[in-house]
Amino acid sequence: MTDRCRDLAIEWRKHLAGPKDALHWLWHGPTPAVGGTNAARSAGMIKSVQAVSTPAADCVPWIDNAVNHATTKSRLLLWVDAVGGFFVCLGGEVRLGQATPDAAVDLPMLADLSRHHATFRRDEEGYTIEPLRDVKLNHERITSVSWINDGSLLEMGPALKLRFRRPHPLSATARLDFVSHHRTQPSSSAVLLMADTLILGPETNNHVVCRGWPHDVILHRQHGGLFCTSSTPIEVDGRRYDSRAPLEHNSRVVGEGFSFSLEEI
Amino acid sequence: MFSRTEATALSPEPTSDAMEPHLTQADETPRGGPLKFTYASGARPLDGYTIKRGIGRGGFGEVYFAVSDGGKEVALKLIRHNLEVELRGVAHCLNLKHHNLIALYDVKQDDNENTWVVMEYAVGDSLEELLDRHPNGLSTEDACDWFSGIAAGVGYLHDHGIVHRDLKPGNIFRDDGQVKLGDYGLSKFISCSRRSGQTESIGTVHYMAPEVANGRYGKEIDIYALGIILYEMLTGQVPFEGESIGEVLMKHLTAEPSLDKLPDGYRQVVARALAKDPLARFASVGEMMHALPPMAKTMAYRPPETRYPHEQPATAQPKTEPPQAAAAQTHASGEPIMAQFVAGAAGVAQAAVDDDDPVWNAVRDGWKNARDSWDRLNTPTKVAVAVIGCAALAYNFQLVLGLIVPAVALYVLYRVVRSVILHHEQKKARWVPVGSPQAARSAAPPTPQATPRPIQPVGSLDATTYQPAARASTAAEPAAPAKPGDWRAASAKHWKRQSSKRWRQEAAQSLAVKSVRERVADLAGSMLLAAVVASIMSIVAVILRGQTSVEQNQFAWLTLTSVLGSWAVLIPSTFWAGTDGDQTLRRVTMLVVGLLVGAAAYLASTTLLVQFDDAKGVHEFIQLDFSKNFYDTKGLPQLPAYLAYFGAMLASIRWWRQADPLRRTRLSVWNVGAAVMGAWVVDWFWRFPQPWGLMVAAIISTSVQLAAPQVTAPVDEPAVKEKLS
Repeated sequence: MTDRCRDLAIEWRKHLAGPKDALHWLWHGPTPAVGGTNAARSAGMIKSVQAVSTPAADCVPWIDNAVNHATTKSRLLLWVDAVGGFFVCLGGEVRLGQATPDAAVDLPMLADLSRHHATFRRDEEGYTIEPLRDVKLNHERITSVSWINDGSLLEMGPALKLRFRRPHPLSATARLDFVSHHRTQPSSSAVLLMADTLILGPETNNHVVCRGWPHDVILHRQHGGLFCTSSTPIEVDGRRYDSRAPLEHNSRVVGEGFSFSLEEI
Repeated sequence: MFSRTEATALSPEPTSDAMEPHLTQADETPRGGPLKFTYASGARPLDGYTIKRGIGRGGFGEVYFAVSDGGKEVALKLIRHNLEVELRGVAHCLNLKHHNLIALYDVKQDDNENTWVVMEYAVGDSLEELLDRHPNGLSTEDACDWFSGIAAGVGYLHDHGIVHRDLKPGNIFRDDGQVKLGDYGLSKFISCSRRSGQTESIGTVHYMAPEVANGRYGKEIDIYALGIILYEMLTGQVPFEGESIGEVLMKHLTAEPSLDKLPDGYRQVVARALAKDPLARFASVGEMMHALPPMAKTMAYRPPETRYPHEQPATAQPKTEPPQAAAAQTHASGEPIMAQFVAGAAGVAQAAVDDDDPVWNAVRDGWKNARDSWDRLNTPTKVAVAVIGCAALAYNFQLVLGLIVPAVALYVLYRVVRSVILHHEQKKARWVPVGSPQAARSAAPPTPQATPRPIQPVGSLDATTYQPAARASTAAEPAAPAKPGDWRAASAKHWKRQSSKRWRQEAAQSLAVKSVRERVADLAGSMLLAAVVASIMSIVAVILRGQTSVEQNQFAWLTLTSVLGSWAVLIPSTFWAGTDGDQTLRRVTMLVVGLLVGAAAYLASTTLLVQFDDAKGVHEFIQLDFSKNFYDTKGLPQLPAYLAYFGAMLASIRWWRQADPLRRTRLSVWNVGAAVMGAWVVDWFWRFPQPWGLMVAAIISTSVQLAAPQVTAPVDEPAVKEKLS
């Protein structure tokens, strides 16, 4: 199985000569049943977007995925017009805790939690959660680091309930949906644990489902910078780009039929 | 046909010269996208608030999510046309308070003389988004839940003399489980009467009452929109769709909605709400809620005056159904037979009556039914029945007396047990956390027995819900003479076939979720009725047997065993109702219960010293060898034989199906036959003095079927209409 996956990956890499191809491939999705989700993941297909692209000099550095100790710089709010606000965590390690005025965690929740309640980690294999206080995974209490998968229900403290989603098969980015009526601080519609790519668009398996958008728009990290790619021309902070544009910490992106803004936290 | 979202996108944009000269980044961007917002994230057009993102745009302008400098999250609505007269409408609504309305905080002007309405930000999805995710409509429960919240909000507005005028799914939100209505008080901005309908969108047209075309804006247009929304929630589509605004408007004016997609009980309500003549519609939201099936009524909606007792509005109170009437309906599913018998007993117990008591209600309704049927009889029959009745009474006076006294005693016992249980349950219910479905249910009706039932016997319900609607349709006739009742006749056949299955599924679901308390309350009533029926059946059986020398103790044994047997069937069946459990498990349970009944029957026969006369030589051909321990020298059964006979009898057939509330007929002769057959087969193996054994089986079957509650399938409409006319 592993060999087959590797072969497939090599073949795909050959075909995906440039970032545009990679994105085209992302838009149109993988060929169904070839290798499957896990195969694609293990083959590091998502990484290919990053691997084949050229270094960009004109981009603002963002925290790298490999950096494990998240700082306050590793988070941003993604305000998508007519869709919602999203709390994006860029770090590979995300600490969750109660939102207090001096909260030092990456993901402060307005909920009855400990100051540092649990830690999410992302690696090549997937996501884990380390419970520091009472955490239930799919209704069962966990006391040690545990794997979480698409659809896992996380319960923390007396009432906070989150659904862990990893909606897109080709991206390691995950989303935490609120099951209970709790919110982050500052408030958001959902939390995005962004790996390399973040896909916004009309499809239900996108990370941010945007009803009424004409097509997908992808945010992706390259060499420490954050980029936005669209199949139609976009305008970022007043400058026009054909398909791919570097993003600043507080960029505003406007395209045909969509618009969104980034905000540093 | 196009969807609502597309339709809104097609609406004409406000002309740019009407906008303020203030240029933002976004203003320089290419136009054309449907989701175009004037202000970008971070903009501060209104002092004190920072815009974070655009939420949406209605016919009147843009709505933004913003955070105040103090950190309060709000929605900001930009009203570009600063028309003082119209702003008065907003000002009028600023101080309304209702948990089903989005709160308006303030109205402010920015430096460019644009007006902003600062209001509550609803976190959850709008009904429009929800309906987009459910293209075939919501479940009836969800629809009722939403609708009761919407109705409460609209009722409150009407109660304060405000017509919403722009009710549509895009204006209805759900925040923390609470339905919230937005955009009230602003609606003059979108009215069609504005020149050339510049700011109107087709999304609004779908919910627009026909008389709006003539400039009439009464409460009736909200009732009309409620009807459309209810239709859309239940079916996933609006009743009048079209390619253009004109086509939709024309349909509002002329077309009849096709109601066959709606579940039973809702068709009449929607039909009346969508009447072309405003006067033919429901006069108030309360009246509309009143006409809905009980499931909708028992949810969040309460007429405004019960929620705000201190306000006491002077407007006409929406007619609320007296709780006991509702309870009576629930249990009036037709127990006229035993009700006649119990009527006497009930008279004695009247002093202790609480109107929510199912047994009492059954008795009262049975008595009413009996009187009605008596009135319908012709005189010779009346005389004959009276003579026979008197003769039977005189002949069996002792027996009847002996029956009534224990019945009354039993009833008193039942009342005590019931009140203890209910009291205990109510105390428990108070501690249910707010927001849980249980809390919502028990908090809703202000009756002492707070048990709203999701599914009611629709047969009885139709009598109440149908009549106002029938009156409405006659009233609507002059206004809409087009095709009276065509759709009903056409859809009836198809509906009947389709709905029966669906109805059964829904009914089973709602039975399955019944709380233990509801089940126990049902059970108590059923057990009492079963006892009465079994006693009466025992008399009948003894009489039918035709022997003059029936001993008192034989009769007593028969009654006791039958009552215990019917209880043995009823108790487990009550808890199995509505679910498809494992048959083996159920049979084993029945076997165990049967053993208990057998032991009790043996005990009764020994204590009562019953002598069964005809015990021998019935089925010698399959007699098993262990008879020595089972039967004494005279061939009379001993304890093991009792255990074996009753255990096998209760395990042999699926007794719980006879107590199934979803059984098609209340009393089926086939079921009784099956019970007797089962007992007869068992008798081959373990001989039991006959016909006592068979009689017990027949009596258990009859009394279980008569006593167990039954939920009747909806009656198809043409039949009801015929009956009513």
